Amino acid sequence: MTVFHFFNCAILTFGPHAVYYSATPLSEYDTLGTSVKAALVYLGTALVKLVCLATFLKVSENDSFDPYQELLKALIGFIDVAGLYFALTQLTHRNISQNHKFQAVGLGWAFADSVLHRLAPLWVGARGLEFTWDYILQGLEANANLVLSISLAALGSLMWLRKNKPKTLIPIIYACAGIVATMPSITSYLKRGLGWHFPEVVGFELFTSLVMAIISWQLFAACQRPSS
Amino acid sequence: MAIPTNESVYSAIALVFILVTCVELCDAVAVVDVYRLIQYDIAGVPFGSRLASLNHHAGSSLYTPGADLSRTVVMIPVAEVNITFIREYIEQKQPLGGLMLLLPRIFSPENKDVKYGGDEDPGKEQMKNILVELERLLLYANIPYPVYFAFEDDSINAVLADVKRNDVSGQPATATTGGYKFVVSAPEPRKLASPTITNIQGWLPGSKADGDSNQLPTIAIVASYDTFGAAPALSVGSDSNGSGVVVLLEIARLFSLLYSNPRTRGRYNLLFGLTSGGPYNYNGTQKWLRSFDQRLRESIDYAICLNTVGSLDKDLWIHVSKPPENAYIKQIFEGFSNVAEELGLKVGLKHKKINISNPRVAWEHEQFSRLRVTAATLSGLSVAPELLESTGGLFDNRHFVNEAAVVRTVKLVAESLARHIYGHQGKNFKIFADDSSYAVNPSYIASWLDLLSRTPRVAPFLPKNDPIIMALKKELAEHTVEVSLQNEVLDGMFTFYDSTRGRLNIYQVASVTFDLLLLLVLGSYLIILFSFLVITTRGLDDLISLFRRPHSRKVKST
Repeated sequence: MTVFHFFNCAILTFGPHAVYYSATPLSEYDTLGTSVKAALVYLGTALVKLVCLATFLKVSENDSFDPYQELLKALIGFIDVAGLYFALTQLTHRNISQNHKFQAVGLGWAFADSVLHRLAPLWVGARGLEFTWDYILQGLEANANLVLSISLAALGSLMWLRKNKPKTLIPIIYACAGIVATMPSITSYLKRGLGWHFPEVVGFELFTSLVMAIISWQLFAACQRPSS
Repeated sequence: MAIPTNESVYSAIALVFILVTCVELCDAVAVVDVYRLIQYDIAGVPFGSRLASLNHHAGSSLYTPGADLSRTVVMIPVAEVNITFIREYIEQKQPLGGLMLLLPRIFSPENKDVKYGGDEDPGKEQMKNILVELERLLLYANIPYPVYFAFEDDSINAVLADVKRNDVSGQPATATTGGYKFVVSAPEPRKLASPTITNIQGWLPGSKADGDSNQLPTIAIVASYDTFGAAPALSVGSDSNGSGVVVLLEIARLFSLLYSNPRTRGRYNLLFGLTSGGPYNYNGTQKWLRSFDQRLRESIDYAICLNTVGSLDKDLWIHVSKPPENAYIKQIFEGFSNVAEELGLKVGLKHKKINISNPRVAWEHEQFSRLRVTAATLSGLSVAPELLESTGGLFDNRHFVNEAAVVRTVKLVAESLARHIYGHQGKNFKIFADDSSYAVNPSYIASWLDLLSRTPRVAPFLPKNDPIIMALKKELAEHTVEVSLQNEVLDGMFTFYDSTRGRLNIYQVASVTFDLLLLLVLGSYLIILFSFLVITTRGLDDLISLFRRPHSRKVKST
């Protein structure tokens, strides 16, 4: 019965990634290799991030929100952006269109993030007898994270790979990318600084991820037009 | 080469996350200390709770219609127990997953701060009566499911309220609402191999007159210190027989003061005995007496056994097995009743003949009488208790023992002993007056009562060098000489089983129905997501063709 619950939560956490891969043209163009490479880059980035966090951050005894520490954490969070940059520009991909490349990278990125951050807690926690909503919420969070990762990858591909984009849109692209990249810090502030509960935070994440997805979609479409 | 390093990094990081979540997990589960009903056999006939491990949903009453009680742990606060109903339930051997009885907080041995209302509190008497009846019922029943006692506290009360609400709304724990699951993981109870009982004795030697070659006569003061109750881990027996032990220790202290001065040293040896095995026909006392040599046994002038003397509202009784006309008995009784009169007490004499062929030994002095040693038991009980009765049950804790009563008994026994030893019978002569240097020390009595009321002392579960046995030995050694321990094996009739306490994990669980519904919702979510993605990226026609394709393939193959 509790294995059943684990199964449910796993579907919610990892299912959308698989669905995304099989439903979109990604599967037709066989971009799995790109996703795997992006996932490996994510692992490397996570390691560098851990080292940085361990080096520069003090361990706070209480759960209070310390602005200076959080700023530092946000800066370290930008290592993610660097990793994504590496994944998008430096990796030699097979000849796939930019359109599919960012999706594949974002998908691999989000999947690696889910596996790394959510699989172990799920395996330990959701199989236990005690029922909590936490693991279902965590699955929803993984969904929001997938959308955010793909949005960030889309914005990144706009920034770094597309040369001829409308000049007026450039500041908007950078602003959106900044917002998406600082999302972890924003949620951490909501959780610690404002004392939001987990369901509220997840709701906020879902909402913002959808908004950001729509914005970046529109931006991408707007950049596509002149070139086509 | 890059892949293995990445994997090792991953496993290291995963390990960290596992550790983090483990810490969080433990917070989510309520954990409560629980105490199991005793499991024992008398001559091979099983009694008590025969199981220890528990893993069932929680329910709040035995009446719940439609609920599968054989897979339910029913938890009931003792105050709300309906004895006749439970008795019927147990006697008809109806199925039950488990029984969890919630005791009020004040019955916890660790609890000292909360005071029960005054002595006249009617609730107190009522609670005592319920517990006595419940205990008698549980002790003599063969219950094929686990029975546990727990103490009410905030977390368990919240759970109880929740379970009750669910039961009232007609949705027992297995329906869509989920509910609580009680888990006590315990191994199968095992038989205790040859339980030991430990007797402690100490001497205060008297002074011989010069040139007197005869052995000095001896007076023995005896109390049994072990207990027996429905929950062995809660059986502290403050009154039965903690009070007797405290009186014995205080008398030893007082007489050691007298005997340390050569001028006040009496012409009697005093023998102090703390015996074990009291609930089992005074088995320890029997073994202890058997170990004496003939000369010693004959030198005992008389023995005073102390039993259940810590209650103010009861009169004291002297129980004897020789007829009251007997000269020695008369002497003892008169000594006691004279002092009692001066203290404003009433002491009665009860005579109960011994039936040698009956294995039941109701009073400790009967073991002495069987060996033709004059002995009497001083007790607050007016009639002989049955086997395993009045031996330190659930209610018998610090709140039901009165220090003043213990002080009173000490005065009574010490004074009458002193008059006998120094030959002042019938005279109004106070050695242990309150303002003298031989005054009874109430704080000493209170501290020993507190210690004994915190320490369960069921003999089979006390190892040979248990701290309480060592503490009693050390205390006796402070006041007396030649203190020794005697380890014996408890005689055959009783068999005990271990696992007397456990930890109850309370989980809030979701039901299968909930998980099925969740699966349904998630499945439709993924299908909608799939359709949405296909439509937005490839168009509606693609989606439709996706569903058509297997169909057309089927047509081709056939």
